[in-house]
Amino acid sequence: MSDRWELLRNQTRRYFLRSCSVCLGGLALGEFLGYAARAAAQEPSAANPLAPRRPHFAPKAKRVIYLHMAGAPSQLELFENKPALRKYDGQPCPQELLEGKRFAFIQGVPQMLAGQYEFRRHGESGLWLSELLPHLATVADELTVIRSMTTDQFNHAPAQLLMHTGNQRLGYASIGAWATYGLGTENQNLPGFVVLVSGGKTPDAGKSVWGSGFLPAVYQGVQCRSEGEPVLYLNDPPGIDRELRRTTLDALSDLNRLQYEQFGDPDTLARLGQYELAFRMQMEAPEAMDISREPPAVLEAYGAHPGKMGFANNCLLARRLVERGVRYVQLFDWGWDHHGNNERTDLRYDLPRKVAEIDRPVAALVRDLRERGLLEETLVIWGGEFGRTPMRENRGGNYGPYIGRDHHPHAFTIWMAGGGVKRGFVYGATDDIGYYVVENPVRPHDLQATILTLLGLDPYKFRYPFQGLDQRLIGPTDEAKVIRDLIA
Amino acid sequence: MRRRLALGAACLFLSCVNPGVAEEPVRYNRDIRPILSKNCFACHGPDEHSRQAGVRLDDRAYATGEKGGLRAIVPGNSAASRAVIRITHPRRPMPPVETGKKLSEREIELVKRWIDQGAPYESHWAFEPPVRHPLPRVRQTAWPRNEIDYFVLARLEAEGLRPSPEADRYTLIRRLYLDLVGLPPPMAAVDAFVNDTRPDSYERLVEELLNSPHYGERWAAVWLDLARYADSKGYEADRLRSIWPWRDWVIRAFNDNLPYDRFTTLQLAGDLLPEPSQDQLIATGFHRNTMTNDEGGTDDEEFRDAAVKDRVATTGQVWMGLTWGCAQCHNHKYDPLSQREFYQLYAFFNQTEDSDQFDDRPRLKLDGRTTTLIMRELPPEQRRQTRVHQRGNFLDPGDPVEPDVPAAFHPFPDDAPRNRLGLARWLVDKRNPLTARVAVNRFWARLFGAGLVETEEDFGNQGAPPSHPELLDWLATEFMRLDWDMKALLRTIVLSAAYRQSSDATPELIERDRFNRLLARGPRVRLEAEIVRDQMLAASGLLSPKMYGPPVMPLQPEGVWQVVYSRDRWETSPGEDRYRRAIYTFRRRTSPYPALVTFDAPSGEICTLRRVRTNTPLQALVNLNDPLALEAASHLAARVAREAGGRFEDRLRHAFRLVLIRPPQQAELDRLAKLYEEARAKLSRDPLAASKLLEPAKIIYAEDRLEAIVPGAAAGAVEWRFRQADPGAGWEQPGYDDGHWEQGAALFGRIAPKKPPKEGEEELVYNPPPVRTSWDSERLWLRRVFEVPGDGYENFRLRVEFRGSFEVWINGVHAGSSGEESAGPLEVKVAPLAAATIRPGRNLLAIAARRTAAGDGDQYIDVALTALRPPALSPPRPDDAERAAWVAVAHVLLNLDETVTKR
Repeated sequence: MSDRWELLRNQTRRYFLRSCSVCLGGLALGEFLGYAARAAAQEPSAANPLAPRRPHFAPKAKRVIYLHMAGAPSQLELFENKPALRKYDGQPCPQELLEGKRFAFIQGVPQMLAGQYEFRRHGESGLWLSELLPHLATVADELTVIRSMTTDQFNHAPAQLLMHTGNQRLGYASIGAWATYGLGTENQNLPGFVVLVSGGKTPDAGKSVWGSGFLPAVYQGVQCRSEGEPVLYLNDPPGIDRELRRTTLDALSDLNRLQYEQFGDPDTLARLGQYELAFRMQMEAPEAMDISREPPAVLEAYGAHPGKMGFANNCLLARRLVERGVRYVQLFDWGWDHHGNNERTDLRYDLPRKVAEIDRPVAALVRDLRERGLLEETLVIWGGEFGRTPMRENRGGNYGPYIGRDHHPHAFTIWMAGGGVKRGFVYGATDDIGYYVVENPVRPHDLQATILTLLGLDPYKFRYPFQGLDQRLIGPTDEAKVIRDLIA
Repeated sequence: MRRRLALGAACLFLSCVNPGVAEEPVRYNRDIRPILSKNCFACHGPDEHSRQAGVRLDDRAYATGEKGGLRAIVPGNSAASRAVIRITHPRRPMPPVETGKKLSEREIELVKRWIDQGAPYESHWAFEPPVRHPLPRVRQTAWPRNEIDYFVLARLEAEGLRPSPEADRYTLIRRLYLDLVGLPPPMAAVDAFVNDTRPDSYERLVEELLNSPHYGERWAAVWLDLARYADSKGYEADRLRSIWPWRDWVIRAFNDNLPYDRFTTLQLAGDLLPEPSQDQLIATGFHRNTMTNDEGGTDDEEFRDAAVKDRVATTGQVWMGLTWGCAQCHNHKYDPLSQREFYQLYAFFNQTEDSDQFDDRPRLKLDGRTTTLIMRELPPEQRRQTRVHQRGNFLDPGDPVEPDVPAAFHPFPDDAPRNRLGLARWLVDKRNPLTARVAVNRFWARLFGAGLVETEEDFGNQGAPPSHPELLDWLATEFMRLDWDMKALLRTIVLSAAYRQSSDATPELIERDRFNRLLARGPRVRLEAEIVRDQMLAASGLLSPKMYGPPVMPLQPEGVWQVVYSRDRWETSPGEDRYRRAIYTFRRRTSPYPALVTFDAPSGEICTLRRVRTNTPLQALVNLNDPLALEAASHLAARVAREAGGRFEDRLRHAFRLVLIRPPQQAELDRLAKLYEEARAKLSRDPLAASKLLEPAKIIYAEDRLEAIVPGAAAGAVEWRFRQADPGAGWEQPGYDDGHWEQGAALFGRIAPKKPPKEGEEELVYNPPPVRTSWDSERLWLRRVFEVPGDGYENFRLRVEFRGSFEVWINGVHAGSSGEESAGPLEVKVAPLAAATIRPGRNLLAIAARRTAAGDGDQYIDVALTALRPPALSPPRPDDAERAAWVAVAHVLLNLDETVTKR
């Protein structure tokens, strides 16, 4: 018998014994739900699989905001100051860097390409940041920058899957799903794992990057939208308002109770509770998703515009959601794939525009969380799925009028803030042209192990039995390392 | 041994209540293997690569052998056994603390007793052929209807339980319909069955349903999960593909009652039969449901390899309930499959022509335009050499291997070819210990809500032991005796008294056996996603009986299909295709139909043997708020008014029975009547709400209200004012005088001559768009006055087909832009501020466009402006509030817990 089924079973049995007598005693539904909400235990309850649960050990972070720049932003234009690369600008790439490598578009021998922007040191920590990030520079001392990320996937979809699900193939559970499976969520009137997408398109790997894989579907990310209904099926259908909805729900609840008395199926009670949760979610989610309720100064700080889709709005929403107890907020911003095959993917013409879209809101988010006392327990992560080559892309073997870089899995930069990581800290390093990691490499599994640890979950023990294996976010081997050096 | 196994499983339940089974000998399979498998085998099991300290506990010879003067297990002497010393070690216990695993006191006690009793090993039950046991003796001899019942009853009597009485006729017919055809019974069939006093009325009903064409739809849906069927290729672009003829083949195969061995052979190797028919080729689509990666720069071999590995893993899962996929990187940690053996299986699948190509070839042309993906074996001179992939990496080939089957099982048939056909024969060989067990368990699980082996996906060492081992074996041997006749197997199960039991439960019974593994009552589970939907449509009378054909697009929330690099749009199908059974719904892997996914339907990315049922508030949201549910409710209300006459209570009864089949109780009628009254009172104060409830279809199908305010070029020559040089400030304003601009008809652009197709690629049919005005420069400015016919127009959208960037203004107010570069048709919602300026009568549309960097391809811009005209709701009638209140009642009925429950 698998652990999971055994646990669910016992849990349900205890739950049933308690809730059954409560409901038959005619007490209010609220108390019945209250019981489910209080039931903090390691294993999810079958009646409310999203009820808060205790982690393995005391957590540093209680919630996560993960900002993923889909397409992979260039570390060499943003975080990696490489004067040496300037020296080699325009020279052919040495053969030893090309041998045995596969690139998405580079063919033959490309030229090296200098970073296109000036770098300066910021804050007490003296963090090097590009001139494109003036706002982020103002919170430099809050950041832990990892310069030594490395992955083995060089295509968007598999690399995004690896970053978020621990496996480059489809069918695995994302970190957000793992986190809500392990910890439940604090606010039962909102989804526990919310996804916000900007840039006009969903990420390359589609909804699988926030999927639940083999975990129950209840743990998958719920995509909230800033246009139309914020959550699918959240709006009442035509002709039904809140008053009529309440009337029909009361009838539904009474009839379900009659049926429960007749047939004695405890699932009836669980589903009865779900309808009440849905009703409350209909009230609370639109309120949480409505940024027009924010004071003008806050909107201004983020650069947010109510009614307009975009990354700035999503950053502000992320703060509103974690403030309301959502466990995991995942942002995807599409449009970071700067190959330089036309003006819209050019490092000089488009990257500044793209960075400007995120620089202010990201800095505002970090500052806003800090000012509200949320940053300490909220882990913010910013990054892409891989890096970009120190070489200039030569699609089709030629250079056109535009400048860009190809996909580069060997080295890239991400940063984290809050949630128990060090402040004003840089981890790892690359060689003088930013090609390889030369110090403290961090693989996606290491990052995931570290995130889980910050959440109070032991990445080696945290597992889910499926297809004969104890599935883990960090994969079947114990190679993943928790990067203790990052933790304050 | 079988007898003991049954007792063993019984103890699994008893042990919670009464651990006092001291006299009973400890059994390896029952008591010890689960403990060792869970805690020890990962490091001390069959995989030599992960084996620690050279200690192996899954094999008696190794475990009791001497190593460095120590023996892990000393039979008859637990105190001298290293294994016991380590699991009880106060400071450094096994398993190591960091694994998070720990043996309980009871488990340690069991291991000690087992060693003291001589440490006898047994082979894993599932790897021994099933044995047909004599029927057990039972006391309650009047209860059994067939063999199944003897096994069930013997177990219940051993537990001191009695079976539940037979369910009432209403419940039985609903259960049979939902299980066998996936639809609720029509009212006439219910009444006929309830009043049918013939002794064989139940058997007749079962025959009727097994012969219904909807039987195939119901059971094909189960098979599609296993086959990871979808109408798209998966991965990044997830472009659409045509393989639905295979789905139709599955439906027909179930309806024709193709025996399971034949069903297996055709799907795995139909192309290898002598002179295969078209149908036999279509059947091979089973393993063409693997994904294809179109992303730029991907190595086709990498994804061909991924597809072949998926085929090995899926075959192991579907036919043998084994997790072969684990062995692609290393020897299986729990089951007898080495990494080398994985690649021997891989070799069977490694000789097919498909190789992750953009056009998904090989494909079979059916009629006219329809094609479907098929398998085709490579010609002998192109055969691939299969090698072990070290650590599972296809770029790191190791020793060459030849096609073969795992050594732990029956040998490959001597006279069979070493190809997929031979492998299929080996799978359905009656010596195969798993194929029949896994199949009958799957049918059982779909009927009872859980398999006799609960872990349908794992019959190996890590799987759950069967709740009724002798019954499982009886069913497996019976299935083979019936020559793999699937309908006959289903008939046998549903004719049993066990299946016919009432599912009502007392609190005592639920406490004793919450998940009904003992089968002291009938099945009671939440309906599957497809049935939740199909039932709603059927009860309301909306369901289309149309079978087969290309996938359809029923109503789904706007904006769900958004996949990178894709022009594919979800456009709600017209007519009855909106109301087809769920099995015909378009399945896109990266964006599956949301209402079905919410009820735990899989996405088709991987083989899914068992859906994990969840209860979430999102399901409540779907059933409450999906406009389709409201449409069904309004249809149901109209149907009731039409069919039940004028008396209030007759109508209430009729509505209740259309949904729940059984007659209502008085308390239920009273509560519904109260709801009706409340809703009527409220709706009589809100006539607009009432009219919306009565005709939701007129509101919710945007496609039906879509009007081209400015038609695209395909509709004809639409005249614009245009300019190719910068017109200066203010050009987008209504007051601007564009009299000096040129005038021309869309399209604007140029069409380049087409290159011939590359070698091996199919020629694409290309109809060049109608360019009417030549435009070959970088930039273009356009203005056009358009008419809005009246009030109430909403949801203004621009559809722009263009490779480049553009900005749009309406009445001088910025209305939208391409955002980033547009590479095809782009739909942009008109910005709220601009939309607010649109009035009935004349308005102005202005566009500035800049094409993508020079190239020699086509260049053109096509602009259309669409809007939804106001819904044409019928004029109010005095009885609107009454009729709308019935819709509210119907909506509640469709949402009842009992409605979505099979009981």
